[in-house]
Amino acid sequence: MAPSQAAHVPTLDGLIKAFNSQPLEASIESLIFLLKRRQVKGDECAKATAHILRQVVAKSKWNDVDQLLSRVQSVGSRLARAAPLEPVIGNVVRRVLGLIRDEASEDRNADDLASEAASDIQSLTPSTHPAPRPAPVPVRPSPSLISTGLQVSKSMFNLLSVADPGDSPMTGASTPMSQAQPASVHALRSEVMDGIEEILDEINQADDQIAGFSEIQIHPGDYVLAYQPSKTVERFLVKAASKRRFTVIIASLAFPEGATEPPYATLRKKLNAAGVDTINLASNGLMAYIPRVNKVIFGAKAVYQNGGLLVDSGSCIAAQAAHEYLKPVIVLCPVYKFCPEDPSDEVSRGELGNPSSFVSYANGPAVDALDVENTVTDYIPPELVDVYLTNLGPQTRHHLASILADHYKTEDIGFSLQLGEP
Amino acid sequence: MAAENNGGPSNGAPSHGAPTGSGAPAAQDGPKNAPPAPANATAAPANTEKLTAAQLKAKAKAEKAARRAQVKDARAAAAVAPPAQEKGAAADGKGGKGKGRQDGQPQNKGGHLQAHRPSVSGRRPSSPMVEKDVRSGIPDCFSHIPMAKRIPTSQAHKDVHPAVLAVGQQMATFALNDSISRLKATLLAFRKVIESYETPKGNSLSRHFVPHVLNPQIEYLTECRPMCFAMGNAIRLLKGKVNKFDIDTAEDEAKEGLLEWIDFLINERITLAEYAIAQNAAQSINEGDTILTYGHHRLVEKTFLEAKRDGKSFDVTVIDDPFERNGQELAKTLRQAGIPVLYSPNLGGLRPKVAAASNAFLGGEAIFANGSLHAPSGTADVAMAAMNAGVKVIVLCETINFDRDRVSVDSLTYNEIDPERNTADCFRLLFDNTHDKYITGVITEFESGGGNSPAQAILALLRKQEDPLID
Repeated sequence: MAPSQAAHVPTLDGLIKAFNSQPLEASIESLIFLLKRRQVKGDECAKATAHILRQVVAKSKWNDVDQLLSRVQSVGSRLARAAPLEPVIGNVVRRVLGLIRDEASEDRNADDLASEAASDIQSLTPSTHPAPRPAPVPVRPSPSLISTGLQVSKSMFNLLSVADPGDSPMTGASTPMSQAQPASVHALRSEVMDGIEEILDEINQADDQIAGFSEIQIHPGDYVLAYQPSKTVERFLVKAASKRRFTVIIASLAFPEGATEPPYATLRKKLNAAGVDTINLASNGLMAYIPRVNKVIFGAKAVYQNGGLLVDSGSCIAAQAAHEYLKPVIVLCPVYKFCPEDPSDEVSRGELGNPSSFVSYANGPAVDALDVENTVTDYIPPELVDVYLTNLGPQTRHHLASILADHYKTEDIGFSLQLGEP
Repeated sequence: MAAENNGGPSNGAPSHGAPTGSGAPAAQDGPKNAPPAPANATAAPANTEKLTAAQLKAKAKAEKAARRAQVKDARAAAAVAPPAQEKGAAADGKGGKGKGRQDGQPQNKGGHLQAHRPSVSGRRPSSPMVEKDVRSGIPDCFSHIPMAKRIPTSQAHKDVHPAVLAVGQQMATFALNDSISRLKATLLAFRKVIESYETPKGNSLSRHFVPHVLNPQIEYLTECRPMCFAMGNAIRLLKGKVNKFDIDTAEDEAKEGLLEWIDFLINERITLAEYAIAQNAAQSINEGDTILTYGHHRLVEKTFLEAKRDGKSFDVTVIDDPFERNGQELAKTLRQAGIPVLYSPNLGGLRPKVAAASNAFLGGEAIFANGSLHAPSGTADVAMAAMNAGVKVIVLCETINFDRDRVSVDSLTYNEIDPERNTADCFRLLFDNTHDKYITGVITEFESGGGNSPAQAILALLRKQEDPLID
């Protein structure tokens, strides 16, 4: 299995190109397949999701906003289920859903002032999250949709209003929209696609924007412990190296098997060229080195609403050790990685990976009887993190709620749960 | 292992003594047999002439200087040449058994290590290390930390006893790795040194032995690898013991006394201690517990096996360091003993694993006067995670490992660099320092009935215990 696997790992660009030429359903299936095999992971998930949703908006048939939303929701939840430990997928889906709602409500607001009153009422209804701006008109299931059997959003928010469908002000809001279809669908499609482009731009530029803050965080003479530097962290360090002289200590869980040169060679070459010293640590325990280190930096796979992090396994060791010595822990996390959810038990237990690089099953029976667990993700509790360095600037965990409120709509938070099991 | 290797030098020692015959102590003759081939070639004609003792000494000094210079030149030119020649000389007949043995040992070690450290295999046995380069790769910020070093046997000080030479080589190659096996090998080697020691005329053992015989051995061992704290303790006790002898004590009596004392030390502080600790610790394992451990420590293994023998059923979680992989051995041993084992090859997912455990048993290399634990790198991280998760952290440690003179608050004060991983490309410290607030209790051989003492109580424990040993 192992040798053939390497041959089939597609590049993200190739995948995205394929999206354009394939039928939509085939693209979705191929992406789901790759997600399940963990061949698309991390930041790539976000980009791939945005691209595929763009295809969904462009290619699938929809006649009104509700259909579009429901379409995006169903594709989104399929993707999210394929990779439950890549919360980034859900975030992008939520962003796209929010975008569609915004565009739709702009259209509607133009011709229906009555909805203003409706939204006022909406904002008074109890909800778990403060609405950052006047709540957009929630899209109501029109009778025609229910009869066609399309799945319908059932967030808590909507459930409350469904309670008395008779005189719901929303019915009035959605009716004119579904009548004014053909012209607005076309406009909406292009607007939403533009919006998705913007999200993609944000994802692509996030690393550079974060790197822009490197000067503030890294000081001359610092010893920086970079735990399994991701692309984001690499860019951050290289940018800092252009301005500062410091030392980077690179730690990782294990060196890649069978590599001829020491790990992180390209990053280290870049840093060394800029006059920054680097040290590769061959150690899992980091307490020994922390007294020498000034700050710990690593990237997050996701940030939960409580401030907890989903990270590559081992980062927790670094965070814990740094916390013990009161050294700042700086987490680089673009805003699109912030999840409006709490971590599940699954997340805190961590994901299990392939242990064969650590244990040789060649010496059979002896190893066979062991339960070997190679955990590949860690959950870091919020109290171990000092700075969340986002593309919008550094944040503390006390202000994460406002970022979340700015980027997601309350009704989209549980999007993947709204549909039930497919 | 230690016993087997000490067999070799003991054969060697008499054969060294025989050709030179009378007068000089055997230990001092050792190096004359040891020089590499080129030096022997130049020395051969000189040896045929009759020389006075003083001339001999001068000659020896000149020889040594020449030898050193030659070795340096040879190294600069071709790295592999000297060992090959050396072996040839040994085979030619002069060297005898002891010598052949020493040459063979590093290779044994290479083979032995291959099993444990696949990543570093071929490097140890073949390439002779060039002294200057060894430390040059060490990053500046860690340059104060000592590192084990392989010294070719031919370059050892002339007074170093062959048994000690062997032990030194084993330590430098980490064939003897943990503190207790190093201590035991050292003591057994010192036993040989004492056995072959003859007090020169006009001297007394209590005045001559330590500065002229023991100290060179210690220096050599320290050069091979920084002494562990247990060795430091044992040597301090040994010196104290020697100094206690009256100046008039008969040599045989004194030697006998020292040998007995060494046996006593090995029995009491190593063999019995191991047994007692395993007993004590096994009692603190309860039915149905999940015990977490890190890496592979002898005492921890003994404890688990002991508890299993007592008929307890419990699970073990072995956390390992992928750069050492000692824990695999432990996991397999325990598995064979019928203990369910969860093996984690790295520190990933440490928090959930620790939280699922009821106790954490950790082995230590040493405990400092402030109660902090000196243990293989990574132990501190595991102990901290366990303590934070509300899991008891129990350290198993013989009292001979307790250092009551030194205090360590971070891991960069007393540590060692892994000689295999000493460059910026790949750097590793061997130990770390666990603050005593992350240790619930220490089980030593001194406590009975399964009770254990907090790490802070160590000083009192030491005072109570060490006095009877000195006299």
